[in-house]
Amino acid sequence: MKFREVFRYEIDHLFRSKTTWLYLAFVFALCFLMIVGDAQPGHTIKVNAPEHLAEIMLVMGIVGLAISAGVFGEAAVRDFQSGMEPLLFTTAMSRSDHLGGRFAAALAINLMILLAAPLGMFTATQVLTVEPGVFAPFRWAAYAQPFVLYVVPNTVLAGAIMFTAGKLTRQVIPVYLTGIAIGVSYLFASAFLEAIGNPVLTMLADPVGVGATDVVTRYRTVAERNTMLIGFPPTLIMNRALWLTAAAAVLVALHRRFRFAHPDSDRKRDSQTAADRFDTQNEPLRAKPVEVPRINGTFTARTTFAQVSAVAGRSLTQIAGSRWFALVLTACVGLVLLFGWNAGDTVLESSVWLRTFLVTEAVLGMRAGPIPYLLIALYAGELVWKQREVDEADIADATPTGEGAALLGRFLALALIIMMIQVAYMAGGILLQALHGYYDFELGLYIRTLFGMKLVSYLILAALAMIVHVIVNQKYVGHIAVLIAFAAPYGLLQTGWVQHNLLLFGRAPAWTYSDMNGFGPFLAPYLWFKAYWASWALLLGVAGALFWMRGRESALKRRVVRARERLRGTVAHVGAAAAGLILLFGGFIFYNTNVVNHYRPGFAASAPQAEYEKRFSRYADLPQPIITAATLRVEIRPEVPSAELRGSFTLLNATGARLDAVHVVLDPQIEARALQLDRGAQVVQSGGEIDYRIYRLDRTLAPGDSIQLSFDVVFQPRGFGNDGAQTDLTASSAYFNRGWLPFIGYQPALELQNDDARRALGLPAAAGLPPQSDTSAARHTTVRNEDRVTVDAVIGTTIDQTAVTPGDLVRTWTEGDRRYFHYRTQQPLPFGATVFSGRYAIVQDRWQDVDLRIYHHPAHTYVLDRMLRSMKASLAYYTAHFGPYQGAQLTIVEIPRYGRFGRAHPQMVAFTEDNLLTRVKDGELDQTFFGTAHEIAHQWWGGQVEHAMVRGAAMLSETLANYSAMMVVEKTYGPDAARKVYDYQMDRYLQRRSAFPTDVPLRDVEDHPHISYGKGAVAMYSLREAIGEDAVNVALQRFAAKYANTGPPFATSLDLLAELRAVTPDSMAYILTDLFETVTLWDVKAEQAVVQGTAGSYEVSLDVVARKVRADSVGNETEVPMNDVVDIGVFAAGAGNQPVKELYHRMHRIHSGRQTLRITVPEKPSSAGIDPRNRLIDRNRKDNTVAVTTQASPGQ
Amino acid sequence: MLVIRGLSKTYPNGTKALNDVSLEIPAGMFGLLGPNGAGKSTLMRILATLQDADEGEARLGDIDVLHDKPAVRRTLGYLPQSFGFHPRARADRLLDHFAILKGIHERPVRNDVTESLLRQTNLWDVRRQRLGTFSGGMRQRFGVAVALLANPKLIIVDEPTAGLDPAERIRFLNLLSEIGQESVVILSTHIVEDVEELCSRMAIINRGEILLEAEPLRAIDSLRGRIWRRAASRSEIPSLETEVNLISTKLLSGRSIVRVLAESAPGPEYEPAEPDLEDVYFSVMAGHHTRAQFGAGTGAAS
Repeated sequence: MKFREVFRYEIDHLFRSKTTWLYLAFVFALCFLMIVGDAQPGHTIKVNAPEHLAEIMLVMGIVGLAISAGVFGEAAVRDFQSGMEPLLFTTAMSRSDHLGGRFAAALAINLMILLAAPLGMFTATQVLTVEPGVFAPFRWAAYAQPFVLYVVPNTVLAGAIMFTAGKLTRQVIPVYLTGIAIGVSYLFASAFLEAIGNPVLTMLADPVGVGATDVVTRYRTVAERNTMLIGFPPTLIMNRALWLTAAAAVLVALHRRFRFAHPDSDRKRDSQTAADRFDTQNEPLRAKPVEVPRINGTFTARTTFAQVSAVAGRSLTQIAGSRWFALVLTACVGLVLLFGWNAGDTVLESSVWLRTFLVTEAVLGMRAGPIPYLLIALYAGELVWKQREVDEADIADATPTGEGAALLGRFLALALIIMMIQVAYMAGGILLQALHGYYDFELGLYIRTLFGMKLVSYLILAALAMIVHVIVNQKYVGHIAVLIAFAAPYGLLQTGWVQHNLLLFGRAPAWTYSDMNGFGPFLAPYLWFKAYWASWALLLGVAGALFWMRGRESALKRRVVRARERLRGTVAHVGAAAAGLILLFGGFIFYNTNVVNHYRPGFAASAPQAEYEKRFSRYADLPQPIITAATLRVEIRPEVPSAELRGSFTLLNATGARLDAVHVVLDPQIEARALQLDRGAQVVQSGGEIDYRIYRLDRTLAPGDSIQLSFDVVFQPRGFGNDGAQTDLTASSAYFNRGWLPFIGYQPALELQNDDARRALGLPAAAGLPPQSDTSAARHTTVRNEDRVTVDAVIGTTIDQTAVTPGDLVRTWTEGDRRYFHYRTQQPLPFGATVFSGRYAIVQDRWQDVDLRIYHHPAHTYVLDRMLRSMKASLAYYTAHFGPYQGAQLTIVEIPRYGRFGRAHPQMVAFTEDNLLTRVKDGELDQTFFGTAHEIAHQWWGGQVEHAMVRGAAMLSETLANYSAMMVVEKTYGPDAARKVYDYQMDRYLQRRSAFPTDVPLRDVEDHPHISYGKGAVAMYSLREAIGEDAVNVALQRFAAKYANTGPPFATSLDLLAELRAVTPDSMAYILTDLFETVTLWDVKAEQAVVQGTAGSYEVSLDVVARKVRADSVGNETEVPMNDVVDIGVFAAGAGNQPVKELYHRMHRIHSGRQTLRITVPEKPSSAGIDPRNRLIDRNRKDNTVAVTTQASPGQ
Repeated sequence: MLVIRGLSKTYPNGTKALNDVSLEIPAGMFGLLGPNGAGKSTLMRILATLQDADEGEARLGDIDVLHDKPAVRRTLGYLPQSFGFHPRARADRLLDHFAILKGIHERPVRNDVTESLLRQTNLWDVRRQRLGTFSGGMRQRFGVAVALLANPKLIIVDEPTAGLDPAERIRFLNLLSEIGQESVVILSTHIVEDVEELCSRMAIINRGEILLEAEPLRAIDSLRGRIWRRAASRSEIPSLETEVNLISTKLLSGRSIVRVLAESAPGPEYEPAEPDLEDVYFSVMAGHHTRAQFGAGTGAAS
């Protein structure tokens, strides 16, 4: 047969195969659904924007690997399996015709199947009826480009590798394993390629093309994303060409290695067969008569047990005994190292100590997480099919072994396989820790996580996988069906149609391990849900036994009849028991999630907030008394858990008018036992989930007069909800604040912020913060009617815990098995009423008159000295430049890692666990040092100087805290360290800005961390570079002096800008305009640099082009004339490993357009550029420097 | 005694594999003879619980073979027509595995049973070899060892000698001959000699129908004196087919020998021949004889 005939025969075969069309339908449906799922109003990126379509196709590329493994695997292995191989190999067909025809046909069919991806997406955009604006106009190129750029080359590459694996090993398992390996390399490429420094190398090293695309598109704005095609950037084309060449090389290698021959003939090891060794010809024709004992089988429970064990043992040895499995386990160890290598790297690219929970969570749980699922799917299929594939099934099926035993035995084998994978993971994790120099392995935690929490999930899914394979009864389709079954719960959750964990197979509320709390509050709900799903798995097992394929009748009708016949005896009893357990566990869970607790899926969870806003926002500006003093008696009972909060507020009428009513608001989690004013009042309004009470005073409250509000409230969560457990108060720790205490007056801060939720609940879009000119808004800070409060608090907790709250510790004592702590503030402070309780170890130190303390988890000692150093350096810098520190102590308290943040409270900072695990490797920034300095800066910015809740508020807190911390870092570690922060913040701003439809000036920032933290740090640091540190500090000091401990009204960003402007010379004033008051972007570029001259004096003539644009509120950019001071630098190459040497570095005035600069340097330069340190907000920062060329001498 | 009544089976593609098959099979070796595609394997698989019949019934003693499959399996030994084993499995371990599946769960007993079966099938010396390295005959004998585990009352051996070389075939038939006479042993084959050498009773099946059920010796006896043979040239054969009841044409040393069924010599060139089972088979297959003409056999009356 010639190539063409092979190809045609193959195509014909595949066309007739039902599987081909099932694959196609699957791809079509998946892509269709992905568009449907995303086609919701409110997304800034349109559903059919070129980039989004490309993303879906890349996702399809990974999912499609399972299909490719089926198509190419079958094409490669079919002859070996069907025993056709000797026939085929003796024909006159050439190797290249056979291989080429097969491969080309499989590729053509695979591409045809994948063509359903763009088709599915396109169909979805055509048939869906959605609000206008959800879809961008149709462009065929948006579909065609990603197909040509990603799908085709990636399929060629993956297909070549899989086909080769199948042909050379003559087995299917290696095909799937290479499929998984390719998938892993895809994921790895998209996640970690950035680590390669050289961007060109990054682009080329990426086998998928996703990284190469990202480099091109990462800083695009929303408008650009919606309209610009991926295009055919040259590096992407090179990348694709490179990997297609790789695919060709693989196929050439296959052609060289592949032989038409029986597999045994080229394997020396097996060349002497038993038949040879045992001389068949001389064997006697009749064996000596042997008396065979006449033993009948006996059939008791012991027999069943023995049968299950036998099936399990044999299935396990078949899989685990193969060298592929050894390879899989080794690969698992390797993958853990690969995925986990930078596990500790967090923000600012610094490192953490690899505590075991970080390995089990970040590495084994998330990055390497998909691997076990794929292996489960693969081996479940293998276990179900192996016996039939080796043609042993008829014999086994005719033995008196129950279907349940056959299935259970295989399931146990799968369970053991999973456990072996977990052992490999654990070994990989321990190796990873050791290689990172961390030796406290916490084997118990590994075991509890991998063989407890994880294994339970895996076993439930393993049961599902086996049953799907049993029911589907077609191996390749079965694999796809298993993947669908695995992914379905996540998909359904995404659509929002189904949210309850009782309805999403295998799901349970998420959990987080914390060194402070262990599995803590998550364990019980997790186990209840898993018990429920395990019962379902058991029921599925019964279904599996009923439909277990036995014998030759595979028609569905026959299988159903047979299932009915089998439904009796043990199988029926187990089925009934499973159904009973499902009802039992399900009922208990339902009682907890829906009866004891409110079950509110999705946006409905926000209904109380919406109701609150609808009913009571009319009271927002109603004058109310303010809290000036609070006494608190808090009883924390971690073992319940519950917290009783009793006490009273002193409410002062600080308005100029008489007040006739007091409005009190209570969090819905809080139960009010008593709320009482010390003067006659009628409750005229009460209720709502957010309890809003209006007390009408019998006698109005005169200005300057005050009353007492006494309260007795309790926080006592009951049972568990669908999302698991609350973490504020657990058996081992507590962290809560005034949110559990009554609020005075309507609080806009409690309003619902999420726009989608607001729309769903019938609220208008969030108004956002009022402008700075709104003087009535400027009278309020975050929480209204409690500006500065003196607090006297007694907190009781269990005897092994320590309770902390802002203020001086007056006294501590024990009563029975409880410990009490009495704290009192010396002066009125912003009211947080933050309470911590935990089993803390304490370190103490002093800075001048200030007591420094760190309350930490006893095992977390890694950062304490660096934290103390930062506390001292921060206090030193801030008191010298901003004003005195107010307070006699500064306390840092560690809290469980249910978030990752630092948060400033009056005289205190809370840090989540991860912040106490950092380490500093060579060349890395000390992240904890920076973070501590940032939070301590809030004692001034946000603490002493409170901001009005108007636009730009975050510029007064986060921007200034970030800038202050940069200065402390610079003073302690030098300018290079501060520059690391600068670069990080610049990138943060530029990257995140593309996710928002509009960019706002720093002055008007609202909830935009990338602007307040990111651009804010860039702007302040640039200003400092321009006008000097002293000038900036003078402005900040004046600003602090003016606004510290005053208000209302409180400071706004305009007030700060006024101070900054006062110290900025006119020639530099444009910086304030560009960086603070407008959205301005630069684009500078070095075009060429030519050097002339001889030793000692080289003249560089540097051609640069500069451009400055300003973006308006909807993202339109207009060019503005530029006449700015910009860095110009000339550099000499460092010898060997030496860094580049700076020969010249000075600020030049640069105007818009092209210009030539002439610079004389003493040494021979190698490169030169404009803004070489990337200080300007420039989206293309790669073209700022050029290599210096030598000009030929004139006249020659 | 295995009693089969009115068994029918039609495949989804319309092929009628079994059509109202009735048989009574006593203990001992029973040969089921028929060409490829006659329905032998379908019948065997139905009896081995691996396929379902559309109609009819089958009883093995008290056991309803078609509906109480677990009970059949407890006393069944089955060697399928085509089968394989995991090539990396060791013979002794695999036999031990099947012994457990067949309900022999006590290890010492199992060891005795598997050892004696491996010796009986002459595989004891290669028991530690992987099955992938076995020759066809060895594999077939191993299959019998598996089938004989746990003292089965119904043993079904489907086309066991196909593809074996002559020595292997003899060895295999010798092995079968040792199977105890108290079990029902059904041997399906398309090779007449297999039945001739081994079976005390037999049936001939074609196109899903039983054409003959008889004791081989009596069936041969009934042809005594009615088989004639002559040498014939190739060109004569077509005309002979219309003139006489031609049973078979064989080449012997390059010449065609035709055998004919007739009450008396059809012509002078014919000589009387000693009938054999092949004559029975071919005459039945050629439709020259109905089962009644053989007049023997306990089940023929139904």
